[in-house]
Amino acid sequence: MRASLAIAAAATIVLGLAARAQDMPPVPAFLDETASAGLSHVFGGDWEFIVGGGAAAFDCSGDLKPEIFLAGGVNSARLWRNDSPTGGALRMTAIPDSGLELTQVVGAYPLDIDSDGLTDLVVLRVGENQLMRGLGDCRFAPANADWGFDGGDAWSTAFSAMWEAGQTWPTLAIGNYIDRHQDMFPWGSCTDNWLSRPAGQGFAAPLPLLPSFCALSMLFTDWDRSGTPDLRVSNDREYYKGGQEQLWRMEPGAAPVLWTEAEGWAQLRIWGMGIASTDLNDDGYPEYFLTSMADNKLQSLTDLPPSGPPRPGFADIAYQLGAIAQRPYVGGDVHPSTAWHAQFGDTNNDGRADLFIAKGNVSDMPDFAIRDPDNLLLQRPDGSFAEAGDLAGLADMRSGRGAMLADFNLDGWLDLVVVNRNDAAALYRNTGAVGGHWWQVRLAQTGANRDGIGAWVEMRQGMRTQRIEVTSGGGHASGGLGWLHFGLGALAGAADLPQARVIWPDGVATDWADISPDGLAIWSRQDGLSEWAPPE
Amino acid sequence: MTILRQALHAAMLAVLVLCGSALRADPAAEVIRTWYRLALELVRHTPTYSPPVASRSFAYLGVTAYEVVASGVPDRPSLAGQLNGLTALTARDAHARYDEAAVMQVALATVVRSLFANTGPSGQRAMAAMTARLDARVAESRDPAVLAASRAYGATLAADILAWAVTDGGAVIDNMGFAHVYVPGTAPGAWQPTSLIVQQQAPLLPAWGQNRPFAMPLGSACPVPPPPDYSEDPASAFYAQAAEVHATTTALTDDQMRVARFWADDPMLSPTPPGHWVAIALAQLAGENADAGRSATVLARLGIAVADGFIGCWHEKYRYDLLRPVTYIRRLIDPTWVPLLITPPFPEYPSGHSTQSGAAAEVLSAAFGARPFTDTTHVDDGMPGRDFTDFRAAASEAAMSRLYGGIHFRAAIEQGLLQGRCIAAHALRLRMGDN
Repeated sequence: MRASLAIAAAATIVLGLAARAQDMPPVPAFLDETASAGLSHVFGGDWEFIVGGGAAAFDCSGDLKPEIFLAGGVNSARLWRNDSPTGGALRMTAIPDSGLELTQVVGAYPLDIDSDGLTDLVVLRVGENQLMRGLGDCRFAPANADWGFDGGDAWSTAFSAMWEAGQTWPTLAIGNYIDRHQDMFPWGSCTDNWLSRPAGQGFAAPLPLLPSFCALSMLFTDWDRSGTPDLRVSNDREYYKGGQEQLWRMEPGAAPVLWTEAEGWAQLRIWGMGIASTDLNDDGYPEYFLTSMADNKLQSLTDLPPSGPPRPGFADIAYQLGAIAQRPYVGGDVHPSTAWHAQFGDTNNDGRADLFIAKGNVSDMPDFAIRDPDNLLLQRPDGSFAEAGDLAGLADMRSGRGAMLADFNLDGWLDLVVVNRNDAAALYRNTGAVGGHWWQVRLAQTGANRDGIGAWVEMRQGMRTQRIEVTSGGGHASGGLGWLHFGLGALAGAADLPQARVIWPDGVATDWADISPDGLAIWSRQDGLSEWAPPE
Repeated sequence: MTILRQALHAAMLAVLVLCGSALRADPAAEVIRTWYRLALELVRHTPTYSPPVASRSFAYLGVTAYEVVASGVPDRPSLAGQLNGLTALTARDAHARYDEAAVMQVALATVVRSLFANTGPSGQRAMAAMTARLDARVAESRDPAVLAASRAYGATLAADILAWAVTDGGAVIDNMGFAHVYVPGTAPGAWQPTSLIVQQQAPLLPAWGQNRPFAMPLGSACPVPPPPDYSEDPASAFYAQAAEVHATTTALTDDQMRVARFWADDPMLSPTPPGHWVAIALAQLAGENADAGRSATVLARLGIAVADGFIGCWHEKYRYDLLRPVTYIRRLIDPTWVPLLITPPFPEYPSGHSTQSGAAAEVLSAAFGARPFTDTTHVDDGMPGRDFTDFRAAASEAAMSRLYGGIHFRAAIEQGLLQGRCIAAHALRLRMGDN
């Protein structure tokens, strides 16, 4: 073969994309209901808010419909109560006195830190981070002092949490950006990331995760299915020196250690901004989408051994699967894109995870697209992706940052909230696509780790098994907690009838259980699987 | 303390000095070093700054600093009339008094902010902060009339140089320098894309060799002989040089690996190859506490030689349009071979790093002699310094690093070094009061 592999690959992609134009998956229709829902919010600020702009989706009112918390930057952050009727138009009501009306907020992640059954909120800030204890009825109170948590004084931009084996309190990882006081030479001034491990009814002094390379996303994830999640860190090469992407090996009671090149880790240096993960190819291991500027990365483990743990070597499969999302696909701006929050979710309920990417120029960078539409990449049956952002109504040209896919009206279709820098946030209702069925489940445990962070939920239909790893972290400054959403496709026959099971964080697996399509369920570790319906 | 550390400390001292109470003997020299330190960072963090683009900016920065000096003293001839397209620059008012640091500050601030106008928000913030602080400091204890005249002249001189710069063919960088549409050559030895990055399916800056050079008359002034005839015959010279790359890279010594990475100088992850040599020069100048005249002369001549090096090299790259080792080796020798370094997205022959290193070493040898030195450019990136007997030895190692890294054949390295020496001769013939 005389043509190079690269040219062959490029030709394959070009020809393939042309052929696949006839092979667009069902396109979900998103309606912009920002105004009618009553959501009015701006994440604003200058240099210290070029990154961040997170959104959090979680229930605090007790009706199990996710509320929305939005970072505000120099503006006040805000919690919005979800008053949407089930299956109806979205309706959000600002709560003026939730206790979360903080300024200098970059992002947030919901987590039941003290395992009292009330969701708490980790608030990342320029300045002191705050653990906000849920009091019920969407009221929150600062808990740093009570829980011995050192909020520090940094520019915090990334977060992830997990419960390490044997612990009743979570381990919190916080990623920090550059030294904001360095105005003339900010480069190379990445400040320490922190790891706060449990100590009694709270946390020990944070352990610096050195070296730190200006993290913009972190995720505890069990990439090798060892049962012990490790910590992926995506770092912004704009500011580090000698840095790269990182994977910290986490062993209970031991200091974190970086996986090395000798062990199979391959150096990757990108403008890392967000991490999304899911098992795209049904092999039991997660793939990782890493947002960046221009070409994004989609990593899949290479050389899975027939037995034993895999090595942490990843191949970039974004190009071959059409998941690069390198430049705007509508609007005429030919400059490269800038990608932030990324999240997998089956938006058309066809049984395959799709990928939403929030896009937006950093700040008047003329060599990158100024009008940079958000992406919705729909996964095809062959595993490749088709861009459908414009067809779905999501080609927003504003400067996107954080976002969250969540089913706000509990109709089984994933809705979307997007935070735009120095512009209004957007709220979209997914009115569905043709032919898709779904199922959503919440996990519940008594004792510690009520929401089952670290569990895996598996859904098998015919020859396929979908998997969702229950994580806290990743994305871009944005996190969700609550319903785990599966698309089930058309449910053509008996062979398609789905069964599910849970592998709890300690590795104990339930039996496979029949589930009821197009329904909601709560999977209690103590009481088993039970269907649940929202009150009329 | 390493030389680079000394240089950085000197630069920091410059900031402290200019922002503090004490004044060094030649604050204009410190203004030069401080702006250069920032320029090294801006090169690394501005998306359009591939090595050729970086070389161009360092040349204009150097010329600006030199003309500030030359306009104020009779023993430094202006480069106007010596550099292509640079006609007479605005002269100083013979009846006015000037402060050299203030002239230098305004001139360099203006040129840096223009050359890096497209940098990101942190770079913009840094340039604004640097401008404000140095403006304020050089204004201290100055006669207002002197200060006003100095600032006005610095701005005028900068405007003259920027007006000249905009006509050289390299001022506008679209799509990061990659053509929107490119049809690869069909000859069996033609360059083919080596990256899975979308932009890099077209090669970088294919017209750069047509830019107006600084000191040499044309991009074609220092041609290189053709590379070995392309052949897939295992008995051919071409195959042999590919086999050499394959054999070497599959049995790299630890030091060869260190050498390859030390001189990798990737865009966006380093100050690029031109910045690497600027860092070396700054360390030498800091070591001898050079004044503004000496500093500006060395940096201008270095910048001109390296910028011409890239123009001359690019002229030849697109004349020969040769494929990279990764393309040939995977095609004919080892389909799974992976080079140590990221293969640059443009034709192979000759080697750009070799050409510009060859040129830089000639300029620095002329300026400083054959002195031993330690290159600590990448200490902040975790790479320890490397010791060299002289600048030419460093250039030879930089050139060979490309073979160790698996991105160049030997002919590109050897001919690149020779081309660089030819190109440097043009820069060394410039009359700048030091020759």
